[in-house]
Amino acid sequence: MSKNRVSRRQFLSYTIMGVGGFMASGTIMPMLRFAVDPVLQKEGEGDFTATPQKVDELTETPVRVDYTIVDREDGWYKSDESYSAWVYKEGDKVIALSPVCKHLGCTVNWGGDKNHPDQFFCPCHDGRYYKNGDNVKGTPPIGPLDEYLVMEKDGYVYLGGTTPNTLV
Amino acid sequence: MNWNSKDLDTYFQQKEYIDTLLVPLLKIDTTPEQLKASTSSTEFLMHLSNFIETQFKGRMMVMPPFTYTQSTSLNEMGEVLQKDLQQLEFKHIFYLTTDREWTDVETYGEMIWIPSIPLESMDKQLRQTIIEDQLRQVLPTLTKKWTGE
Repeated sequence: MSKNRVSRRQFLSYTIMGVGGFMASGTIMPMLRFAVDPVLQKEGEGDFTATPQKVDELTETPVRVDYTIVDREDGWYKSDESYSAWVYKEGDKVIALSPVCKHLGCTVNWGGDKNHPDQFFCPCHDGRYYKNGDNVKGTPPIGPLDEYLVMEKDGYVYLGGTTPNTLV
Repeated sequence: MNWNSKDLDTYFQQKEYIDTLLVPLLKIDTTPEQLKASTSSTEFLMHLSNFIETQFKGRMMVMPPFTYTQSTSLNEMGEVLQKDLQQLEFKHIFYLTTDREWTDVETYGEMIWIPSIPLESMDKQLRQTIIEDQLRQVLPTLTKKWTGE
């Protein structure tokens, strides 16, 4: 018989403490986990989507880039959604503008109006925008075209969400 | 604009700008040998009208397709449409269809007939290009009406 015999009382209290501790940790751990969650978040690329446009093929003339977000989830409904952007280079910076007219949401085209070949043109109500997206005063649009967040990766243009125009 | 309540609210606010109605006319042919062609042209018409809607959202109200089967009398249907659609306060009304028979029917507004192209076997990229080409066919009709008055 060793000296430090465990009494029945001790054995029970150890057991209860053990089980109690285990249960308490079961509730506290997730709380801690949630509290520090932002720190554990991986540095991701955010919601950038690859486009088929190569960066070095871009010029100062805007080109239309079509891309698709595959498996976009809207509740239980999954779908592929197609988007477009007008992309051009200014110096080394890649600029991507949204083709959605700020007036009533039609699709604008670069050089769509013969009289103004270096402007964006909205065919619906003859709205026009300068190359940086600024709306031409006196035409229906009330604000500049939105800008896409742009990222370059492996020589291709990646596009993120839209932000209000920062070039104007 | 689509025919839903959210877009209709925008329409009420911006009535002066949204002056055009696009009515797709969709034929469902139930004869067995025409089924495949019928589904194919349905797809084509729906793709095309959706694409037109995104391009001209701010000027056009695109209606849900008016669907009929092969025995429907187009003269009668055209007459009814003519009577009822006139009540809407759109300056321009365009009908969009792949059914050739409509070209002989008198309607209130402009009839745009476009032959159907089977899209189902194409990949996405090609399909998009084809639809854009088709829109380019339709475009002169639209702009002529829009700028003509």
